[in-house]
Amino acid sequence: MFAAGLAGNAAAQGVDPAEAADAGASPYPQTGPLSGYMDFHFNGVQGQDAVLDFHRFVLLFSHSFSERIRFIGELELEHAFVEGLEAAGEIELEQAYVDFLLTRAFNIRAGMLLVPMGIINERHEPPVYNGVERPFVDTVVVPSTWFDVGAGVHGEIRRGLRYRGYVMAPLDALEFTADEGIRGGRQKGSEANVRHPAFAGRVEYVGLPRLTIGASAWSGRSSFAAPRLETTVRIGEMDVRYQRRRLELRGQFAQVAITDAARLNDALERLVGVSPNIARTLRGFYGEAAYRVWDAGSPRDLVAFLRYENFDTQFRMPDGYVPLKEFDRNAWVMGLTYYPDPDVAVKFDYIVQRNRSDLIDAPDSINAGLGWWF
Amino acid sequence: MRRLTVAAVLLVASVCAGLASMQDGRRVIDVRAERFSFSPSEIVLEAGEEVELRITSDDTAHGFHIRGTGTNITIPKRGQGAVTALVRLDKPGRYTFECSRMCGAGHNFMRGELVVRGQPAGAAAP
Repeated sequence: MFAAGLAGNAAAQGVDPAEAADAGASPYPQTGPLSGYMDFHFNGVQGQDAVLDFHRFVLLFSHSFSERIRFIGELELEHAFVEGLEAAGEIELEQAYVDFLLTRAFNIRAGMLLVPMGIINERHEPPVYNGVERPFVDTVVVPSTWFDVGAGVHGEIRRGLRYRGYVMAPLDALEFTADEGIRGGRQKGSEANVRHPAFAGRVEYVGLPRLTIGASAWSGRSSFAAPRLETTVRIGEMDVRYQRRRLELRGQFAQVAITDAARLNDALERLVGVSPNIARTLRGFYGEAAYRVWDAGSPRDLVAFLRYENFDTQFRMPDGYVPLKEFDRNAWVMGLTYYPDPDVAVKFDYIVQRNRSDLIDAPDSINAGLGWWF
Repeated sequence: MRRLTVAAVLLVASVCAGLASMQDGRRVIDVRAERFSFSPSEIVLEAGEEVELRITSDDTAHGFHIRGTGTNITIPKRGQGAVTALVRLDKPGRYTFECSRMCGAGHNFMRGELVVRGQPAGAAAP
């Protein structure tokens, strides 16, 4: 039992809401305490040597210039080690933006932004999702963590109806691949070319208890590095999360359309000598059921889950191109998440992955991980 | 600084390990916090009405701050009980509440409004 006591004088006296931001002795400017999240993984992939990987070390910084002007930054070290031009780790500035919080319905944000798309991209702290790794769909169709420079607006229009709309740097189509789709095309705010800006938007409804329904869209001309091409990328996405007692359900569908993909393949073939076989449509969806089998509060808190994913980065090909069947994949992911503390997740899963190729097998894998938030 | 005509936000915060007592004649409103929303995100009350907000978290510890007041309390982590706030706002208007404890990438989205309707408490009847 704990009693925090009465509110301070400012609360007891109160002020007009319109003047609330300027009331009393201002606690601003105010720099928030350091926070962040980390996770490291054991990945045992069939037919390969097992690896231990300190996957993410992320620090969040925050500063409030005033009650209405706030900064949040997120700096991430991936795979523990960065070495020049080697294919090793990465240091990424995933977020660094200033929010101008004007009204409930209209606020302005500018800087390095997370693309508002899907369940995971904006909500990716390790304790909030099941599975050691993020869903495949949120990796090769929605390329999380997807961030770039831009500016936009966000707010809540009616009770529980929220929106975000940003103008952002586009993708670089010359970096697309058959295997990982548009993932390689993220400019990540590094001297990003914005000759043709992209537009990202999301609406979501959180007005009913324990239900979140969202839909996102992204559109941008992505062939700035090859001006003669007319490659535009459009992405549509829908997702839902629902909780009832011990049960949590979530599902997501995403589809990517790439115009002028045939000419993009031709151009890349001339550039590197091999056609990358980029599709004109990528598609993925998943559904997950999770059940809290032990619900007595941490450390007696255990979740079992089962997720089915279907994802194809060669879903529809441009005329004259044949899809590579090994990229038409599905996966059953089953596992446990144990919470010794609500902010600490110990994860185990087993993944049965299949594809439609007669030649190349999709390997199964067993994974374990430890992730935490502070 | 203009003050509420009759303004009081009386806050008593307590963590009751999942126990919340009902006060006679007072509405009790369950508020659920999770990354990155409050549910409900809009709470309507009458000017001068005292309501009890019983706030729980479904994940990490969050904060509950009502702008323009001194109300700023910590919502305990999932499974560690509720925090109860007694709120009375005497002047009609819209009061923003928000998470005041960094909770992740979407922290700044975590806001809502107390909508206070009616005549200011203490106003003379027509």
